Order: sequence, then C-alpha cells, then structure tokens
Amino acid sequence: MMVDVKLETILSKVQKPGRYIGNEWNCCLKEHDQVSLRMVLAFPDLYEVGMSNQGVKILYDSVNKDQDLLMERVFAPAVDMEEQLRLAGYPLFALESGKPLRAFDLIGFSLQYELSYTNVINMLDLAGIPLYSDQRSRDYPLIIGGGPCCFNPEPLAPFFDLFLLGESEEALPRLLKAVITHNQRGLAKQNILIELSNLKGVYVPSFYSPEYYSGSFSGLQKLEKQAPGSVEKNYVADLDSAPYPTAPLVPYIQTAHDRAVIEIFRGCSRGCRFCQAGYIFKPVRRRSAAKIAETARDLIASTGYDELSLSSLSSSDYPAIDELIKKVDEALIGKGVRCSLPSLRLDSYSVNLAENLHQGRRSSLTFAPEAATERLRKVIGKRISEAQIYRTLNDAVTAGWNGFKLYFMIGLPTEEERDVEAIAELCRELRRHFKRQGRPGIRFSVSVANFVPKAHSPFQWESQLRMPALISRQQLLIERFKKMPWVEFSWHDVETSFLEAVFARGDRRLAPLLEKAWQLGCRFDGWSENFSYSRWQQAFKELSIDPENYANHKFSYDDPLPWEHLNCGVEKELLICEHRLAFNGQFEKDVRNN
Amino acid sequence: MRLLQRALRRSGLPLAYSQGYNPRLRLVLALPLPLGVTAGREFGELYLTEIVDLDYFVSSLSAQLPAGLRLVGASAVAAESPSLASLVVANRYRARLKLSEGKLVKPALIESAAIKLMAKEEILMPRSGKKKKHISCTNVRPYIFELQLNLDQGADPVLVMLLKAGSDGGVSPFFLLHKLAECEPDSGSETWQWLVERESLYMISNGALVPLAEGV
Repeated sequence: MMVDVKLETILSKVQKPGRYIGNEWNCCLKEHDQVSLRMVLAFPDLYEVGMSNQGVKILYDSVNKDQDLLMERVFAPAVDMEEQLRLAGYPLFALESGKPLRAFDLIGFSLQYELSYTNVINMLDLAGIPLYSDQRSRDYPLIIGGGPCCFNPEPLAPFFDLFLLGESEEALPRLLKAVITHNQRGLAKQNILIELSNLKGVYVPSFYSPEYYSGSFSGLQKLEKQAPGSVEKNYVADLDSAPYPTAPLVPYIQTAHDRAVIEIFRGCSRGCRFCQAGYIFKPVRRRSAAKIAETARDLIASTGYDELSLSSLSSSDYPAIDELIKKVDEALIGKGVRCSLPSLRLDSYSVNLAENLHQGRRSSLTFAPEAATERLRKVIGKRISEAQIYRTLNDAVTAGWNGFKLYFMIGLPTEEERDVEAIAELCRELRRHFKRQGRPGIRFSVSVANFVPKAHSPFQWESQLRMPALISRQQLLIERFKKMPWVEFSWHDVETSFLEAVFARGDRRLAPLLEKAWQLGCRFDGWSENFSYSRWQQAFKELSIDPENYANHKFSYDDPLPWEHLNCGVEKELLICEHRLAFNGQFEKDVRNN
Repeated sequence: MRLLQRALRRSGLPLAYSQGYNPRLRLVLALPLPLGVTAGREFGELYLTEIVDLDYFVSSLSAQLPAGLRLVGASAVAAESPSLASLVVANRYRARLKLSEGKLVKPALIESAAIKLMAKEEILMPRSGKKKKHISCTNVRPYIFELQLNLDQGADPVLVMLLKAGSDGGVSPFFLLHKLAECEPDSGSETWQWLVERESLYMISNGALVPLAEGV
C-alpha cells in the first residue's frame, strides 16, 4: 500500500502504525480494474487478533487464487487510530490498496465473537456506509457476514445484506461469481439478493420477519417466497482437495498467534455439550498425513516461520498422530522449526505425544478438564475419570514436566458450590500426591471461564447462572487459591460473559441496542481496557430491554428459537437427546450417592 | 529482527542455529532501532554453517526482502573478530520537523530551544529499573556529542544529532526532542512533529569517530 501524506500524518500519531500499512510478505496486490469483483474482508478486531485467525488466511488465499476476484483486508482500527481517522475525516481503508471501503463491491465481516459486534457497526460508520441494510442502495458495497457467529446472527441481522453459513473457502468464491453474473445483468439489489438466496448457505435476513408473542420470540415469517425455509450450512467435503494457503501472509508486527498453522482435521467427535464448535463444525474430516507433511514443507519455505502448529479442536484424536508427527519432522529436519500441538486430550497417549514434540523442553502442559467433579463432567459430556486425570498428570511429571495449565468452567448446568470448591481441592490433592511421590513444587496455572449457553449446542436451552451467583463462585475460588501460592489463578470477567450470553442467544430486538451501545462509545468490548459495563447498562435502560431475559432465560423444547431456521446439520432431536442425557447422568450418580 | 530471521529462513542459505532446546538463528543486529524509525544503513552479524559465495549470499537474501529493505552488501569476517555491538559507540540521527499546513513554526523559536537545551549542564533521563518502583536518573547531557540545526529557506527545519550509544549508556533521540520542546514552553512546541531517521552508526578508529561503513 502507498501511504499518502495525509495518512502518514495520521499514522505518526498512533501507537502501532504497523497495524495499518499492509505490504506483508505474501500479500496479494491486484489492480482494481483488472478484476470483475472487488471484496474486502473485514475483521472486527485488532490486526494482531485478525491476523492470527486461520479463516482469514484461508479465505484470502481461496478468493485471490481466482484471477477475476480480488480480496483485500481491513481490521478494526484501535481506539487511537479511530480518533485520528475521525479527526482528519479520513475514511476507513483497505490494507492492500489503501482505497476506502466504499470503493469495493462487497465487504465481508468475519464474525467470530459476540463482543466484537460494536466494532462491526463502528467500521461501517468509519467507512461512511449507512448502517442498516435497507438504507443502502445498490451503489453501496454489499455487506455480508461469515464465521461461527452466523449460526445465530440475529442481533446483527438488520445491518447485513446476507450471511454465508458454514465453511466458506469453497462457497465464498462461488457466491462472488454469482454476484458478478447478477451485477452484469443489471439487477436491482433486492433481485440480486433473491437470486443469491438460492445458493446453499446464503441467509438473507430481510426475507424473514420475526414475530413476538407477549415479549418472547414466537416464530419467523418468510416474506420472500423464493427464499428457503431453512438455510443449510456449507461445509468442505474433502480437506485434501479444499484450498489451503501454502504461502500465507506473514505479518511484520507481532500477532497473537505468530506461527505457521496447518489444520490437521476439522470438526470434533467428542461432543462436549457446552461446545458450539463441536456441533457447527460437524462432520469430522481429516487431512491426510502425506498432504500435511507436504503443506508443512511448503509453509516453512514460503514464510520462514520457526514454529508450526498442527491445529484442530482435539489434536490427540487424529488417528495415528505419532506417524503424522514423524512425517512432519522428517519434512522439516534441520530447518530449526518447532512443532506445537494444541488442544491435547487428557490422557497418557497425549503426554507421550507432547514428549516426542518437546525434546528437552519441559515447561508446562495444558489440559481442559472443564469441571472438577466426575458427576459434573458427566453432565457436560466430558468423559474423563478422576483416575485418568491422575494417571495423565503422573505420566507427565515422570516425563519431566513440572507445571500444568488447567482450564475449567463455572456456572455449568446442575453445578453446585461443592463442584466449584472441587477445582481448588483437585489442585491441592494433586500437589500433595506429587509431593508424596518425591516431586514437590509442581505448579498449576488455573483458568476459569464462565459458562455461556450457545445456539446449536445441547445446552442451548439452558440459562446462564445469574451474575451475583457467578461472582460469588469466582470469589470462593479466589479465596481458596489465595492460600495456594503455587497456583496462578485467572478468571474471566463476569459482565463480559453475561453480554456474550445475551448476544449468543439474542434476537433482532437487540440490533437497535447494539447501535445505541455503539453511540454511547462501546468499542472493543472483549478488551478489558475498553470495556465499560455502565455504558451497556445505559443502553439497555434507554431501550427498555432487560438483558436477563436473554442471558438467564431457560427455553423449553417447545419454544421456537430465534436461530432455528439456520441449519448446522445437527438435528434438533439429537440436541434434545443429548440435553436429556446430560441430566440423566446426574440422576444416576445421585441415586448411587443416596 | 523477526523480519530478517524469516527472510533468512526463506532464503535457503546454510544458517547456523544456537545449541539448546530452543534453537535460534545466530543473528545479531548492531544497536537495533525501535519500530517507526527510518534507517539509512544498518549492520548485522550472521553465522553460517559453511562458507558461501558472497554474491550468492546477497542475491539469495535480497530475493526474500520486502520492498523498502535492501541488502547493501556482505563481507566475511573472522569468527574471532570483535562483535559489531561492541564496536558501536555513537549514532547520528536526522530529525525533520514536519510543518503541517497552515501551522508555521518560527525558525527562531526552534533555534532558541536548541540553544537552551545545549546550554543545560544536566539533562536527566529517568530510567526505570527492572523493578518498576525503582527509578534512577542519568544525566544525558554529556551524551550529546553534536547538535546542529539546519534552517534552510523553503525547507523543513532539520536537526542533526550525534549521540552516544553502546552498552554503557546512550540516549534516545525521541527523549531529546521531547526535552527540546520543553525548552520553549507555551509556544505550541508540544505539537512539534519530528520525522526521525538514523543516518549512521559510529565506531572509534585511530582515536577518531568514524562511520561504521568506513571503519569495518
């Protein structure tokens, strides 16, 4: 990107100009008049976060591979940059060409996290684009959304022209080609949207109108007869033949995940009942070991990274993964590259794997038991026994590790205070256990998140534990861990989790609220230094919306759900069955206890 | 630094790595610059596992460097020669005052600020130790070897600074520009915007300061 004088002055006044200049290695520069369609991929969070997202890199590659298409990028400007842009009256621009967003045919937002929604609105505003879909004529870019939040995008519905459901590396280029065709036919915006709504995965929110009965969502009325009654997600059938970037962008400034990444499989067979990703990314699909090794070699040669991450939702579940690691090692021998394997399952097999990967270096291993009592783990569908935890950690300590990072959740359905107390108890017992084994000084880092019920997971009907109760459970742990200086304890902000729950199962009545919150100054709500709950409270108050009706609402199986017309491929019956099983698990155990 | 490491890895050159659990490229830059400073000519040292032809080295690495970064040259040095970092004793910066439209700064004002700054016997630079509570101050006035103001008609005012550098102390040009503005308070000096560029690094050769490019 060429930086003009005006932008240079702006950049000289902001903290990290490196976020806004593009030109990264492997960046794709195309002339705007040499292609038929110009798209900008908009990531509603900081550059450092967006550039760590593998989806961004995959889509950038899959769209730009096509000679006739162009994809540039834009990230949410940090607060200081926004201030300078507004001061100078400089419109939000794309990183590759520096052109204002309005100069594009289409803007696609990557929707990964509920608390980035105000950034979406802010970016549209900074681009000088009217916020609501019905305020935008054909002269404006089409505003589309993709990513996991599209499985319930209702709070954002009126701002978007369409959402693309599911995995998009194959579907997005298809959609863009269709837009070219309909543009060339000179169709009006409304007609273009009708045509596009026939494509798989395309959800045009304005074709459906929600209805409410005595304050609750009561169903959706279809306004456009050609639009599908239920929108089915896209997914890639075969990962080996799906596009994957072998020469991804390499940022100059440090990003959150600054390494080469290869996705070894997609989806997860575990089915933890709180986990949305486990359901919306079904079915499980593998990339072959040969393909992975080949890609690994290409990735390192094209990027120069010194770290390669073999990513997935649960790495140990890759069949014959030790074979895979051997193959990758062979491919990268002598190149000074470290391999990492995130999301390890809690078992001895995983310890073995980690041992092979970290020859010599033994700092800490990360596991996610999620709940500390066997009863609660059964409820959430995390089938690990107490004995298994001990065995796994024992193996790890024997192999030389002396620290563990453990992830838990609180506020889970059926949870009681003793389940929470058990988190501290488990750490204490483990420490004692290792001390007896002649290994004192084992340290723990414990991170506790708050349960957020998510659409399309078996716990979608559940309510979030009310804020005061969540706070008191956090407090309980803070007290317990105070006496355990060898535990580094961290926890998630309760107000943030509450808002996440509001939007995760929200409906369209929340759209004006988002706009109001944005007007009141809400930005980067996922960042504690920017988050202001009082602004949100004011927004809720001004619009007379009670957020507890969303976050703390318990749905029954018969209630219509605001996201039910969006089909992630999992039958409602299966979710109901899983939901029922969760509570049966508890009953069984309780009966035995009595 | 990261940029160079990645470019080197992409180049396919026979790179040497440090021993240990976490192998690192054996690459050292002489006095790395903070982000956002333009540089004229920078130096670095790199270890390879075998002797390569210098032209081949330059072309292999150049092919992997992004626009705006050019490999000027390479030479082989004996492994036992002193490190670049230990040779550098000073560096010269050039700061250009950006005059935004309609906001002219009187040259006399900058001149008087510069004179006041140089007239000081003590310029204290706070240095926060590793423990944040402990803050000590260093007098950096002796670190200013030269300060020269160029006020050419029609051009932006330019301040050239020759400053001490090295492991036993140095001063940042940004800190001095900040102090300079403080010399003329209430004059709008706090809005002065400087574009800073490092022109060259210096070493001592035969008792005199010479640019590194000539000395090594």
